[in-house]
Amino acid sequence: MFEVSDIVAAYGKIEALKGVSLKVESGRITCLLGPNGAGKTTLMMTIAGILQPRRGSIRLEGAELAGLSPARIVSRGVALVPENRLVFPEMSVRENLLAGAYQRRDRAGIDSDIERMYARFPRLKERRDQMAGTLSGGEQQMLAVARALMSRPRLLLMDEPSLGLAPLIVAEIFDIIAELNRDGTTIFLVEQNAHMALKVAHQFFLMEQGRITFSGTPGQLAEDEVIQRAYLGTRRAVG
Amino acid sequence: MDFYLGLIQIIGVHTLLGLSAYCVLLTGQVSLAQAGFFAIGAYVAGMLTVLAQWPLIPALAVSAVVAGAVACAVGFPALRVKGLMLVVATVAFGEAVRLFFFNFTYQIQAGTLHLGPHGAEGFRQIRYFPEHGWSTLDVVLFIWIVVALVMAGLWWLDHSRVGAVLRAVGEDELAAQSVGINITAVKVSAMTVGGFIAGIGGGIFAHYTTHIEHAQFGVVLATFAIAYPILGGLSNVFGTLLAAVFIQGFLIEGLRFMGDWRNLLFGGLIVLAMNVRPRGLLDAGTTRALKRLFAAGKERSGA
Amino acid sequence: MVDLVQNTIDGLMIGSSYGLLALGFTLIFGVMRRLNLSYGPSVMIGGYLGTVVYLQFGAGPLTVAAAVVVGAAVAGIYVERLCFAPMKAGAAIASMVSSFAIWMQLEQAAILVLPRHTYAFPPLATGAPIELGPFAIRVDHLVMLGSALGLAAAVQLVLYRTRFGLALRAIIGNPVAAHLVGVDVRMVMPLAFAGASAIGGVAGFLVLAVDQQITPMFGMWATLKGLIAMMIGGLGSVPGAVLGGLLLGVIEAQSQWYFGPQIRDLVAYFVLFAFLAIRPRGLVGSMSEASTQKA
Repeated sequence: MFEVSDIVAAYGKIEALKGVSLKVESGRITCLLGPNGAGKTTLMMTIAGILQPRRGSIRLEGAELAGLSPARIVSRGVALVPENRLVFPEMSVRENLLAGAYQRRDRAGIDSDIERMYARFPRLKERRDQMAGTLSGGEQQMLAVARALMSRPRLLLMDEPSLGLAPLIVAEIFDIIAELNRDGTTIFLVEQNAHMALKVAHQFFLMEQGRITFSGTPGQLAEDEVIQRAYLGTRRAVG
Repeated sequence: MDFYLGLIQIIGVHTLLGLSAYCVLLTGQVSLAQAGFFAIGAYVAGMLTVLAQWPLIPALAVSAVVAGAVACAVGFPALRVKGLMLVVATVAFGEAVRLFFFNFTYQIQAGTLHLGPHGAEGFRQIRYFPEHGWSTLDVVLFIWIVVALVMAGLWWLDHSRVGAVLRAVGEDELAAQSVGINITAVKVSAMTVGGFIAGIGGGIFAHYTTHIEHAQFGVVLATFAIAYPILGGLSNVFGTLLAAVFIQGFLIEGLRFMGDWRNLLFGGLIVLAMNVRPRGLLDAGTTRALKRLFAAGKERSGA
Repeated sequence: MVDLVQNTIDGLMIGSSYGLLALGFTLIFGVMRRLNLSYGPSVMIGGYLGTVVYLQFGAGPLTVAAAVVVGAAVAGIYVERLCFAPMKAGAAIASMVSSFAIWMQLEQAAILVLPRHTYAFPPLATGAPIELGPFAIRVDHLVMLGSALGLAAAVQLVLYRTRFGLALRAIIGNPVAAHLVGVDVRMVMPLAFAGASAIGGVAGFLVLAVDQQITPMFGMWATLKGLIAMMIGGLGSVPGAVLGGLLLGVIEAQSQWYFGPQIRDLVAYFVLFAFLAIRPRGLVGSMSEASTQKA
């Protein structure tokens, strides 16, 4: 179980997260929806340790992660597939995967994991010696996912995996997400594409202006109401 | 007394140098070419008053125009590059100017004296002020009138549409371009105005020091030029003035009693200032606070 | 024709040390995306430490070289701690201005330790030049070329064959992603700085030992040569830095021979201008142009 409680984070004087609390069940896909600027990416960056929270706690299986360096957080079993993928453009596909295993020291295990990634993502195998910067957007997304998996995470965070990808590729990415989950990976996903996200998620949260405003299971609300709230926000409708 | 007057002259001229970098920095360009424009202004103005016997003000005007024209010409090719590339390109330009004057000799015989620039020895005997009976106080006044005029001009520019355009380019080029701003024109204009101001500063510098040489116009001076607006902050022209007073008045002259140890402390204090206030001494927040303070005072006195 | 070839030989030899200076510079710029004006002065501090060791204890070339490298590395860490580590994101110019202030500080420190304008520096190697038909190669030049190329090859190996090299290339590629895969960026940065300054220190030692003298001006000289060679060669690659240095060396040697020492530097700046205008990525620049915009 992964648990975020009462996280406050700020850029300078502007509070982007105003006390966020949520729980992610192990072995599930949990999705975070919300309009632009709600603080979803800030939350992801804070969990990954790139941003330090002002207050609050972040626990994975009871162990505190808040305040640790990003490197420690990776070694505790949390990996983030960042928004815009951020592959290493001047490294080959294989080197990107090696970099993903940076915190690990078991050479043999790393090599066999690379082979497993090639088996799961055949396109990456075809392009193993190609510079990552020359891959297509969808291939870069697959590489970013594979790179994150190379650290053998207990919790995989994904920030907008469908951003800027063609619909067909988006469907492929979501198939991969469902498949990874079937193999036992806990996934916590931020997504703009509510339709696709609700299809795979077991549970979802709505976030608006730095706060969680709703949580439930996909069947609980009509999809168009969720989409309405995720894109337009509830506050605007109220006042 | 003369010591303080001399110091006030230095601060005035360095403020001009800093302001020349200020308007270039507003458009987001870090230029280390300002010392080169300053050098061009110094040599041109000096040659006009010494060799051609021109009066000072037309000589300064011409030095400003020449430096501005060179800046404009440098602006076009330099603008193809950004960030580090621009820094390096402008360092190269500044050093090329310095090397040019290192090799530049143009002398005339006046009685027993040889007048004019003489390569590595520099350009001596720029004696316009003493020959025309200006006292040190006159020179100080003249310098600060020029500083005030330039600051007023830049202040006005800053608060007109032009200032908004300059800052828009500095903050986000793509956004500025998308609302129809001609980036090249804006950047080259800023560079030209910067060159113009540096030319005036250099011209005055040549006349109060009476002796200029290439070594004065190196990378160190160029870095000082951008250090003033960066340390002072880019929210308005007064930051640059404040930083020139702080660096030249306090850090360099004020700490002179520390002798050889001065530069050690100088480095430490600048680093401290940049760490504590990375956006400058007078950043936007401080400026707003000061304005509120003055506005509150006005209201009370008005009531 | 003989002159032309001889100048090229001399230029390549001297240029190899420019290449090392560029290599240290490009590593720092790659991991920081910020310009370190104190790079040369850090090397100069190393040079002064070497001079002190030489003058006080009459140490041999290897000990002096070790002192230069250690001094440069320590000065590099000092610069990183003061000007780069504490600076917030987006304050790239603040870092540059700070590194300028530290440059003045380091220069002053050198003058405080050894107040005369120039000091003798131990020679690298003595002995008659090696004659090859009409051409002559100085022994110390040969040592310089060999050490420089050897060190550059070693750096290339470290970058592409070790875990530390992987971490460095990850930071160069994308600092945020480097954090996300678990690279301890805050640990690697000062080490990278120290390593880059140490590479500069080797270059500094070689140049000083060939010149057999040191002045406080050496700091600015090293910064400028490293910067020009780095830009000619192109950012972000070991071969680029070395090639840029070699080319700069040859250009300087030829123009010095045909036009004299003052015009030499002008020619070097002209070539730099030409590269920036026509081929801003340099000879073999691998770093994308966008990544250099933030400096």
